[in-house]
Amino acid sequence: MARSVISRLASALTMLFVVATLVFAIQVVIPGDPAELLLSSAGSTPTRENIEALRVEMGLDRPLAQQYAEFLWGAVRLDFGSSLIDNSSIGQTIAARLPRTLELIAVAMTIAVAVAVPFGTQAALRVGGRLDTAGSGVSAIFAAVPVFVIGTLLILLFAQTLKLTPAGGYADFVTAPMQHLTNLILPAVTVAMSIFPIIFRMTRSSVLDSLSNEWVRTALAKGLPRRAVVRRHVLRNALGPVVTVIGLQLGILLGSTVLVEFVFNWPGLSGYLVTAVEQRDYPTVRAIILVVAALFIFINLLIELLQMKLDPRVQL
Amino acid sequence: MTMTSASVSPASSSRLQLPRIHPRLRLPLILVAVVLVAPFAVPPLLGIDPNAMSVMERFAGPSLNHPLGLDEFGRDRLARVLIGAQASLRVAVISALISCTIGSLIGLFGAYFRGFAGFLSTKTADVVLCFPPILLALLVVTLMGPGTKTLIWVLSIIYFPAFARIVYLEASRVSQLDYVIAAEALGARPRRVMFRTILPNISGPIIVQFSLTTAAAIITESGLSYLGLGVVPPDPSWGQMIRGARAYMEQDPLGIVIPCVAISLTIYGVNLLTDRLRDVLDPKGLSGGIPILSPRRRKTPAATVPATLEADTVLRIDNLDVTTNRNGVAIKLIEDVNLRVRRGRCTALVGESGSGKSLTASSVMGLLPRGVTVTSGDIMLRGQHGQAIQVTTLSGEGLEAIRGRDAAMIFQEPMTALNPVYKVGDQLIEAAKVHRPVSANQARDEGIAFLKRVGVNDPERRFDSFPHMLSGGLRQRVMIAMALSMEPGLLLADEPTTALDVTVQAEIIDLLIALKASAGAPGILFISHDLGVVAQLADEIAVMYAGRVVEQGPAATVLGNARHPYTRALLQSMPAAHEELHASRSDTLPSIGGTPPLPHERPAGCAFRDRCPHAVPVCADERPDLTAVDGPAHLAACHLATGRAA
Repeated sequence: MARSVISRLASALTMLFVVATLVFAIQVVIPGDPAELLLSSAGSTPTRENIEALRVEMGLDRPLAQQYAEFLWGAVRLDFGSSLIDNSSIGQTIAARLPRTLELIAVAMTIAVAVAVPFGTQAALRVGGRLDTAGSGVSAIFAAVPVFVIGTLLILLFAQTLKLTPAGGYADFVTAPMQHLTNLILPAVTVAMSIFPIIFRMTRSSVLDSLSNEWVRTALAKGLPRRAVVRRHVLRNALGPVVTVIGLQLGILLGSTVLVEFVFNWPGLSGYLVTAVEQRDYPTVRAIILVVAALFIFINLLIELLQMKLDPRVQL
Repeated sequence: MTMTSASVSPASSSRLQLPRIHPRLRLPLILVAVVLVAPFAVPPLLGIDPNAMSVMERFAGPSLNHPLGLDEFGRDRLARVLIGAQASLRVAVISALISCTIGSLIGLFGAYFRGFAGFLSTKTADVVLCFPPILLALLVVTLMGPGTKTLIWVLSIIYFPAFARIVYLEASRVSQLDYVIAAEALGARPRRVMFRTILPNISGPIIVQFSLTTAAAIITESGLSYLGLGVVPPDPSWGQMIRGARAYMEQDPLGIVIPCVAISLTIYGVNLLTDRLRDVLDPKGLSGGIPILSPRRRKTPAATVPATLEADTVLRIDNLDVTTNRNGVAIKLIEDVNLRVRRGRCTALVGESGSGKSLTASSVMGLLPRGVTVTSGDIMLRGQHGQAIQVTTLSGEGLEAIRGRDAAMIFQEPMTALNPVYKVGDQLIEAAKVHRPVSANQARDEGIAFLKRVGVNDPERRFDSFPHMLSGGLRQRVMIAMALSMEPGLLLADEPTTALDVTVQAEIIDLLIALKASAGAPGILFISHDLGVVAQLADEIAVMYAGRVVEQGPAATVLGNARHPYTRALLQSMPAAHEELHASRSDTLPSIGGTPPLPHERPAGCAFRDRCPHAVPVCADERPDLTAVDGPAHLAACHLATGRAA
């Protein structure tokens, strides 16, 4: 057990190192000088002096190996340097904004799981029934609507027409908790709706698979009450794939909340990222992507460890 | 289940052969065709410039000239939504093609050459999959600047790993198959093997993934354009139209709804196609599991016979019919079966797969598969307190009460009959804890005692083992201990030795023989296709063929003086020497050709006549009934045995 945990950890760290290298390498591989690219995107033709100054500022004048080492060492200390635009500390801005994104994801995932898992289970237990048909229909519709479209339509309905919720914005939880929550509802529901189909379908098919296991027949044959059979011998075994898909979605959400935060003006990591992309603030983009990829790898590691706990057969 | 395994045809290969369009694909294909063609075909017909502005008419409602009205700059909405589709579709389809080609090549090379190439192909995919897709897209956009070309590259990079992974897995699977190995052995070049032999055989999953990727690419493209980082103005694209219309949401909700509906409809169409493709290429169907929650409707108009049972009998089955429905037609799977199991004795039910012997046992437990019901007949079971229970009239709760306690069952596959996530001990005492009030410690002690009784060495340690840590024989012992743990009056053993090695088989048989001789032994209904095993154990034998009992009587008589040609065929296929027992695991009859008819194809007359070496004309016309032959206890259903064929 301990050995396989360590080896998973090692492989996660390796992956992180590869990702960091890749993020660094893109800048080298992309044709053209980053400093020149950056300055020319503003529209005007930059002067040689301007380019040189920016190259020094970005550290591009130093040897590649040194740049790489400094980048890695900075990343290890969570020091990502400062923004090219306003010189603010990238690390500090991330620290302020990341929790808001994580809050949104956590609430949305809780809603989605709380609805989709029981729904999917019931659909599978009564396969072909009304509930099953309804669930499949709903998830087919939700799956067809991109997340920012869901958000926009929800604003149109609840904020614009019914005037029940604010159309967007953010309030600090400590100073205005109610305001904070009303602002959170629509974005969280939007994200939850967008991941509902995936979790619903995975739960449904996983429970269906689980139902046809022979040990379910054994459990029935020894006279266990149906509830106990469903809980202990169907759901428990169906959990693995569902947990995996939830973990995968958590990771993907770290990215796709970009759109939702943009729709609802939620000042999370994504707004920061989009602005940075627009302004071609490469160090900021690089830092955010590295942080998110690290979280992604970390979540995957947790899921793998959880999987080992769930199924005694899963070993390295 | 023997019944289902017989009805599933082996056509599960995902080879793509579409001589004509599958009916389930027609609707989504039409939908997708419309969505793909309309954006390119309709605008020239309209003859409206999507970029022509007429500011005076901004937000004009629908009219004859402008069926969907005008937008915030007074541009025709219909023209713009169609042109917007062009951009979205072009980007999505091109990038899906690129990622499909690159990914498939990487996967194919990885799977075929394995080693370093395999490692590389899976690892590149892993690294790319470490980035949430949108973030990866943003990274590339930062460096390359927004635009259509960037988008295509971005989407190709995002989606190729999924192709690589799927193709790698599928190709690895296929390359183990005989015809690939044969192609290699014949000296085919690697390129030929890869593209001519392997690729066509994995085209199904690739097509499904392509369809999936196209939908995903449309979503990502529209998202990026919505953020202003995809298709750049003034070219219209859906995402960008929604972005533009957002500012005017209050005055002009229609402006937002139109592109929203357009995107969603397109993706819905592609998704539908994907789902249907998957169904058609990889038909799995509804799993025929045992219904757990569906209400157990009583089909038998319960001719509530006074529940009586002879004193020495623990199970009596009278005139049992089990039926299923196929396209509204009732098909009898089991017909008119009569059986009896005496206390401390063993009745064997013998026959090939699909003969209905397992279904008979499942009927006793009330564990018939979905859609299969007892339609007539009676099943009487001896209860714990000596009372007679009419199983066919029991409700769901009533069945739960008798299962395990009055009738217990052991199954063929000890590998899959135990739940892998719980310790065997916990599963062993699980039912006992439900059926009667015992403390955890007491239950554990009893469980260990039962393990010891069925001959498990070191029972304390085994109690805390997980199933995968035990051998097949040990697991079957655990199953037997589990079945005995509530001291049932009846033990149903459904091919309990078939999946085991020969030596282990013998051990389990010895265990059952010892069990039969012990005090308070249950009656055993032993199901097998192997008369060799049955001969060691059975006191009475019933031979089933195509859902009916064809010969039945005391074991010695049936084995020594078999009257039905089928029984004789079974006897001939008995392995003579002990070491040949392996041959009997294949569950087929080497001495006679053919297989039993499927339930819906059973012929009139004698069901065995097509395989019978002695068939005469009367066998085709008249179905032989079970009739007494050489004594009242020995019955056979054969015209030859009763002299009618003479």
